Amino acid sequence: MKLDGSYTIPAPREVVWQQLMNPETLAKSLPGCERMQPNPDGSYQAELKVGIGAVKGSYQARIEILNPVSPERYRMKVEGKGAGGFVNGEGLLTLTENGSAQTLITYSGEAQVGGVVASVGQRLLQAAARQIVSQFFQAFAKQVQAVAFPPPSTDPLIPSSPR
Amino acid sequence: MIPQSFEYHAPRTVAEASSLLARLGSDGKILAGGHSLVPMMKLRLAAPKHIVDIGRIAELAHIREEDGTIQIGALATHFNIESSPLLKDRCPLLVETAREIGDVQVRNRGTIGGSLAHADPAADWPAAILALGGEILAVSARGERRIPARDFFLDVMTSALEFDEILTAIRVPALPARGGDAYLKLHHPASGFAVVGVAARVLLNAQGAVQEAAVGITGVAPKAYRATGVEAALRGKSPSARHIEAAASHAADGIEVNSDLYASADYRRHLAAIYTRRALERAAERAAAS
Repeated sequence: MKLDGSYTIPAPREVVWQQLMNPETLAKSLPGCERMQPNPDGSYQAELKVGIGAVKGSYQARIEILNPVSPERYRMKVEGKGAGGFVNGEGLLTLTENGSAQTLITYSGEAQVGGVVASVGQRLLQAAARQIVSQFFQAFAKQVQAVAFPPPSTDPLIPSSPR
Repeated sequence: MIPQSFEYHAPRTVAEASSLLARLGSDGKILAGGHSLVPMMKLRLAAPKHIVDIGRIAELAHIREEDGTIQIGALATHFNIESSPLLKDRCPLLVETAREIGDVQVRNRGTIGGSLAHADPAADWPAAILALGGEILAVSARGERRIPARDFFLDVMTSALEFDEILTAIRVPALPARGGDAYLKLHHPASGFAVVGVAARVLLNAQGAVQEAAVGITGVAPKAYRATGVEAALRGKSPSARHIEAAASHAADGIEVNSDLYASADYRRHLAAIYTRRALERAAERAAAS
């Protein structure tokens, strides 16, 4: 199954890149991520509870970032396994500056899905995958905005902007 | 093929069911006809901790008309709708849609409310309810909500219903004078789901031109949608073959089209235009004959 698309994040490219490389931000953005830990080889181990509608399952995933070219692109490899089946995917993410305050993330890749989920849900896979990817980017955009534009301090002793 | 164990609840009233759901939160799952949920549970793709079986709530199984509006209770089965004399006369689009669903077993047990709440992107009801500009009634311990059909379907198997809400009924306008409608579908040969399904309603004015056309399309995108480009292109025109064909070419404008092993995105896009043309032609013929 081919997966491609793009998403615009309202933040400068450097900031977006840093956050894409930040495991904490990724953990907060991955749909249903319950735990994410680094492996000794530099990859990550994640526990995801992914679901569409009533179909929900727990997956153990290994996420690996390959050939990073800061702040432009990297390849991402995901191997996931759970009771519903397995997912193996690899794709290229490219970050393009869209003016100074926006970054366009383009992704294109290929995923293999197998097991019960694939055998009974084939007709829904593409749309379900798109939904999960868009959930990720929406959550990621929120995380990035929180970093790029932190809310003004509410402490009256520290003015949020110089007067 | 044996589901994971779960707690079973069988409330007798909507009030009882909604207070149960409020308590269970996201652990609760409503069971209606069980023809989508139970197969998924048997495959263990779904493993709800609590099942709230609304099948014994008698007040949810009605089909009636009030002041030109048809109201169908969530528990009406596809067969109840297919065989309803009231609907055959007052809202034939629903009868025609029900006939195209699944097989006899599914139609005997599956319910309109269950199908809508499940929000399968290839289910038949969403196309019809969208084309009719229907409303979906949802009740929770917090009160009742009326959700316009066009705001109800959010994404693949995702509706606007909250965890604690019960879809109780569907409301659609009856067929007006000089109106006609039709539902046409290409069945997936194995599953019976819509590869493409198009519901159309056409209203003609006194001069025989199209006053209003409404088109709901299922199977094509991650959620059923109104083909507003088609509708706008036909408004005010005579329902000639040429006008209908030109309008139908907009069936998938601006839509992210699904693809699977059976039908590629291009093929689906092509089918959407063809089935839209045929559904509009049939609806317009019926409107002219009414």
